[in-house]
Amino acid sequence: MYCFYMAINVGVGFSTKTNATLAAAEAVRKAKLNLDNAKVDLAIVFSTVDLVNYGMLNTISEETQNARVIGCSGAAVISPRSILNRGLVVMLLCLPKDIYFNTSCVKEVKKSGALNAGRELAEGLLYGFRNVRRDLSIIFSDGLIAEGSNLIFGVQEKLGRSFPLVGASASDNMRFSKTHLFFNQEIFSDGAVGIIWAGKVNFGLGIKHGWKPLGKPRSVTESRGNIVQSIGNKPAIGIYEEYLNYSRAQIEKELRRISVLYPIGIYLAGEDEYLLRNIISIEKGGALRFQGNVPKGSQIRLMIGTKESCFEATKQSVEEAQKKLSIAMVGSKGQTNKFVLVFNSASRYTLLGREAMKEWDIIHQGFNPEIPLAGVYTFGEQAPLKAVSYQGQAYFHNQSIATLAMEG
Amino acid sequence: MGLFEFIYELFRIASFFIILFLAIILLFKIEKVKQLQEIINNLRKSLEEMDEQAKLILRTDMELNKAQEELDKKISSLYALQKISRTISTTLEESQIFRSTGSVSFEELGFEKACALLWDENNKKFVFYLVIGYKENEIEAIKSYANSENNTLMDLIKRGKAFSSISLNPDNPLIKATNEAFKVNSFIVCPLLTEEFGNGLFFIGTQNTELTVTAGDEELITILANQIAQAIENARLFEKAWKSQQELERKVEERTRQLSRALEEVKIISDRKTNFISSVSHELRTPLTSIKGYAAILLEEKLGALPQAVKERLAKINRHSDELVHMVNDLLDIARIESGRTTMKLAEQDLNNIVSSVSDLIFIQYKNKNVDLVTDIQKDIPPILVDRSQIERVFINLLGNAIKFTPEKGQVTIKAREVEEDKVQIDISDTGIGLPAESSSKIFEEFYRVDNSINQQVKGTGLGLSLVRQIIEAHKGKIWVKSKVGEGSTFSFLLPLVK
Repeated sequence: MYCFYMAINVGVGFSTKTNATLAAAEAVRKAKLNLDNAKVDLAIVFSTVDLVNYGMLNTISEETQNARVIGCSGAAVISPRSILNRGLVVMLLCLPKDIYFNTSCVKEVKKSGALNAGRELAEGLLYGFRNVRRDLSIIFSDGLIAEGSNLIFGVQEKLGRSFPLVGASASDNMRFSKTHLFFNQEIFSDGAVGIIWAGKVNFGLGIKHGWKPLGKPRSVTESRGNIVQSIGNKPAIGIYEEYLNYSRAQIEKELRRISVLYPIGIYLAGEDEYLLRNIISIEKGGALRFQGNVPKGSQIRLMIGTKESCFEATKQSVEEAQKKLSIAMVGSKGQTNKFVLVFNSASRYTLLGREAMKEWDIIHQGFNPEIPLAGVYTFGEQAPLKAVSYQGQAYFHNQSIATLAMEG
Repeated sequence: MGLFEFIYELFRIASFFIILFLAIILLFKIEKVKQLQEIINNLRKSLEEMDEQAKLILRTDMELNKAQEELDKKISSLYALQKISRTISTTLEESQIFRSTGSVSFEELGFEKACALLWDENNKKFVFYLVIGYKENEIEAIKSYANSENNTLMDLIKRGKAFSSISLNPDNPLIKATNEAFKVNSFIVCPLLTEEFGNGLFFIGTQNTELTVTAGDEELITILANQIAQAIENARLFEKAWKSQQELERKVEERTRQLSRALEEVKIISDRKTNFISSVSHELRTPLTSIKGYAAILLEEKLGALPQAVKERLAKINRHSDELVHMVNDLLDIARIESGRTTMKLAEQDLNNIVSSVSDLIFIQYKNKNVDLVTDIQKDIPPILVDRSQIERVFINLLGNAIKFTPEKGQVTIKAREVEEDKVQIDISDTGIGLPAESSSKIFEEFYRVDNSINQQVKGTGLGLSLVRQIIEAHKGKIWVKSKVGEGSTFSFLLPLVK
């Protein structure tokens, strides 16, 4: 006896038009070309900040007959054809009856605190979903929230520490002034949006960065959340002053470059790579504020990377996602379709500069070039760690590329 | 020694050896610890050395990255600059100079805001018209700033060189003022110096706090500003030239209309003249025929013998009547050709044959005056397409004139050469008295006679060469003369060959 399952139907469209409404209409029209007029259930939208307005979301809602919309802004977006410095990419999904999802959002994170906001978001995602075997959650959060790690922590409290969680912190045009989240027809900052998947859906995730440790290990002797006061009982900034032989003023002036080129890496037992942390700012007394928590007692190293190591990491990320998806698909029956979401660090985009397209090529060539693909450049990536001791717990990453291949 | 003592002695000896053994082991252990300590010290030293090396690597890497970044930026900027330059250099409409480049190219240079301000000398204010990255209200604010009394923009233009947020002293209040006025965090300002249309400035800036303007940026933007100034100047010159051309074309059109009207009037007058000459000539021929007839009857003395004196007078009447008939016939021919009433009966003719036939006719005149008639006609000259009788008139007229103005023992030459694919040039040269320069252009006009001693002696109508020209032109040919007083004349004309 044969059993046939209806497969997930995915279409991706993009546009570089300068008018947001026209761009949205064009992107949806392109995405629909592959959908055979099927009813759209979900639209995942990534846009550069210049196109973020209500006209864009209203058009997407209208054109998809009020499908659920979720997404965020980015320094650039990744389309199936290239990287767009200005533009938007829309992924439309038509789901079969045996794949379920729920979306939710949380606002005013600063007011309620990141931890509480994470809990609230998870509660929203679980609403009406408690008795279903859940597979994966994707979270988009404001990339300028100071306590991004706590937000994830809050979500995990409700969904389970080992529950597969993948996420992206929205970015802007590298001004670090305002990032945007999309939820149905709403646009907001200081919040997070999420989606939870269940049913006959499989996924494979690869996350890598390619930075290597340099110099001797040091210990974080005093820290609170994402602020590190001292390393080796000296002001945290000392590590950079010592290694670069720069004055504090010089470091402050070139902070963005230093942060991208030489982040700190937190040693994680059993993991291939260190967990990277970018510096956001220099605080009073030489403390450093990082994009993500750095626990007291962490063994840290200064990290160094090259474009080549970045490309190698991208390749590994793609291979890992494919490998894990293949394992997850063992036993799948009937016809299924795949699609890929890429959450790439905006810092990597800055570092690679003109060679960013080379990275896009690696992703494109790594998968079947015809596979529906969309992505966004982010201020942070969330993904589970591999080592057994972490039990698949999601962590907040910097400067990494997370490749999520899904199938259903 | 009792058993107890023996055991005690044995124990003492054993203890001694055990202590000795332990002492030896301790010594070895101490030595081992020393060795390990040394290894640890060496490792620590190596780690410290490696850490020092790591510092060196990091510092070198930082410098390399900076150099790479600057190089990448320069390459990107050069690409963008080339793209912008190519676009603006091909734009001849001033308002399109920036519009055609689009904002993307400027963003590739690393700046999202740009504008050009030109000083309007008539209204004593800056005109703000090339804008990228600004909203309407921002433009108004910058306009107010640029034209406010206390702004220093004009002084900066007069400095004649670029300045930026890095080239100025950090304490210079101009940095803050410019950043606030143009709503940026980094900027470059370059003067726009045009030779003909006054001066202005080109501003480019970014809000990006991460971007550091470099000396290289300043150089590139200066090049761009010069090109923009050149493009503005070109566009304005083009507009000026275009307007002048339009004006010129309008004037030419107006003048052409006037000339066409004048030509129409001349044609009408010419037609009237031709008709008048034709009518008058016709009317003159009838009484002339009567006069000639009666004079002939009287001369033949059919009405009775006449005295000698009367006969002589009658002969004069007859001769003058002949001249008058000849003149009237010429006038009629000219009028007919001019009005198009006479069509040329074109047929294939042999030039040698025409020349030979005409030479026979006038041979006696040449012989009588002892003038040589030489013919030099190109061998195998193709046949010509002409009205034979009319072309014979041309030859007779020109050869008649040549002998008239050539003294005895002179020479007249008929030369013919194929000159173009479908034309033959015939030159009739004489060794006669020649023509003054001013006559060359008038000689083909009706009734024009050259003022010379021969013409004063020999009567003529002044219609012969005019008739010749009419006949040549009716064959789509042309005629001209080259002459010098005392050195003879050459009359040249073109006739069509059979294709």
